[in-house]
Amino acid sequence: MDFSTDFIAVAGFVVLFILMLLRVPVGMAMGLVGVVGYSLIAGTGPALKLVGQTSMRTVTDYTFGVIPMFMLMGAFVSVSGVSKELFRAANACVGHLRGGLGMATVMACGGFAAICGSSVATAATFSTVAYPEMRRYGYPQSFSTGVIAAGGTLGAMLPPSTVLAVYAVITQQDIGKLFMAGVLPGLLAMTMYVLTIGAIVLVKPKMLPAGNPRPWSERLVALKDVWPSLVLFAFVIGGLYGGLFTPTEAGGMGAGGAFLLGLLRRKLDRAGIRHALLQATRTAAAVFTVLIGALLFGYFLTITQTPQKLTAWVTGMGLNRYTVLALIMVMYLLLGCLMDAMAMIILTVPIIFPVITQLGFDPIWFGVIIVMTVELGLIHPPVGMNVFVIKSVVQEVSFTTIFKGVIPFVITDILRLIILIAFPIIALWLPGRMA
Amino acid sequence: MSGLGVAAPAQARGLADKIIHVIEWLAATFVGIVAADIFISVLLRKFFNTSIPDSYDLGRNLLGILIFWGIAATSYRGGHITVDLLWTAAGPRMKRFIDVFATLVLLFVVTVQTIMLFDKVSLTYRDNVLSYDLNLPIWPMFAVAWAGDVCAVILIAVRTWRLMFNPELLQDEHVDSRAES
Repeated sequence: MDFSTDFIAVAGFVVLFILMLLRVPVGMAMGLVGVVGYSLIAGTGPALKLVGQTSMRTVTDYTFGVIPMFMLMGAFVSVSGVSKELFRAANACVGHLRGGLGMATVMACGGFAAICGSSVATAATFSTVAYPEMRRYGYPQSFSTGVIAAGGTLGAMLPPSTVLAVYAVITQQDIGKLFMAGVLPGLLAMTMYVLTIGAIVLVKPKMLPAGNPRPWSERLVALKDVWPSLVLFAFVIGGLYGGLFTPTEAGGMGAGGAFLLGLLRRKLDRAGIRHALLQATRTAAAVFTVLIGALLFGYFLTITQTPQKLTAWVTGMGLNRYTVLALIMVMYLLLGCLMDAMAMIILTVPIIFPVITQLGFDPIWFGVIIVMTVELGLIHPPVGMNVFVIKSVVQEVSFTTIFKGVIPFVITDILRLIILIAFPIIALWLPGRMA
Repeated sequence: MSGLGVAAPAQARGLADKIIHVIEWLAATFVGIVAADIFISVLLRKFFNTSIPDSYDLGRNLLGILIFWGIAATSYRGGHITVDLLWTAAGPRMKRFIDVFATLVLLFVVTVQTIMLFDKVSLTYRDNVLSYDLNLPIWPMFAVAWAGDVCAVILIAVRTWRLMFNPELLQDEHVDSRAES
């Protein structure tokens, strides 16, 4: 019985990877393997019952409403043209410095990502907004695309991050605390990217020319455009931090607020509203499909006792817990070559999480670390999702050129990961002070 | 990728596209209603110390409705989260094969889900599950959500047909990769 259970578990993973490689949607592949695997052990009747129950329970869970609500907020803000406004404001403030346009791109990416919550969408958007401007001022193609790819990764860290929300759902952690845990590491990431650009300027001063200085009046006008979005962000995240709203309510308030702001500023027309509603619906449906699949796959993992066996095996090896953590991170970096951040988190966290808690790591801190690691997978060679997205928008640039531009930021990311592992307080300080 | 030469009549294509359009719009409307429900509920609670009756039940069941109707729209547009490594490296014929295979698996899984969801809806009806405040039956909301899954089966079938015979009619868009217009 034990052998057959182990065999079914291994066979399940093999079939899952084959189905995913054949482009079966990740959620559907996980659900199919989970139900078939469960039925082989517990019988077809109970396995099929799980399908109806799990699907309905997942989609009608009020807590999960946080995902579509923040997506809708991001979609309303996006179609209101905030990316251009953020870039214009950041450019007006720092564009006159050497490398200033790069710094402006990082800052605008951070601001946009904080509202939109998606790394890939941030990279796609700034490929159209910031890339032409950087090229106009003579920035090299490699740097221009590299900074956009890196800036895009800020989306998963700064709240409201969809990936962190999904991690919270899978591991049953507090979504609000996870959002807060991402704030300081996200700001640290922005600061370190700006410092990286500064270091590039120091080494090669002529590579990144300065833009035209802007008069203070122009800077104030540019800042005037972005303050409503920043106030909305502060209101939503502040309300969450202060215990004024639950995460789902914060998302609903953010969506409602973004809608009203868009209307009041005459930035949202009928077409924009329709576009935002459709975009939020489709993306939320895609994420929920994976969530349902992950929960069905979770039953299969439970009945085969895969996480428990893996935990016993890893802890029985007698390795230092930081060695285990390093091995897990290397695994994520390698997986980053195969699949996107969401798929990686949903597929692996249910298996890895018991090991992490058994080793005594903080689950909130681990959420930040793991999301940061999978985001690194979005830009590191040979396959980085952000790089592919940028290439699809800026077709004249080769993959090699983009990866060359990304290298300094990959080094910065690794350094940042080491800092966060050495000082968990950076991630845990804000959640520890939540109301 | 070119079709296999079996073109659907223009009238049938037009009708199918209209139905797809309506389904997408229903899904999008539901997300707006959920957001409005939460937004208004919070404002009423914070400023008027009152609430919409059954706001919680309404919100979570509307969420279910929007997700199932959204799955219909997403499945048709090829917007699910997928691993594209092999597909990206494949030639046109292989890409076509992978797409058709993946869509057939999707069709099978969603069909099984729809059948099992019907069980859940009928169970809710038989058990007479009621909402918390107004004691309204929950099953009609579940039934509307289930109808979204039925639409998903129909749309995935349309997608499969089009992938095989009229691939030029499909406008796929991958989740999460849309730039701000």
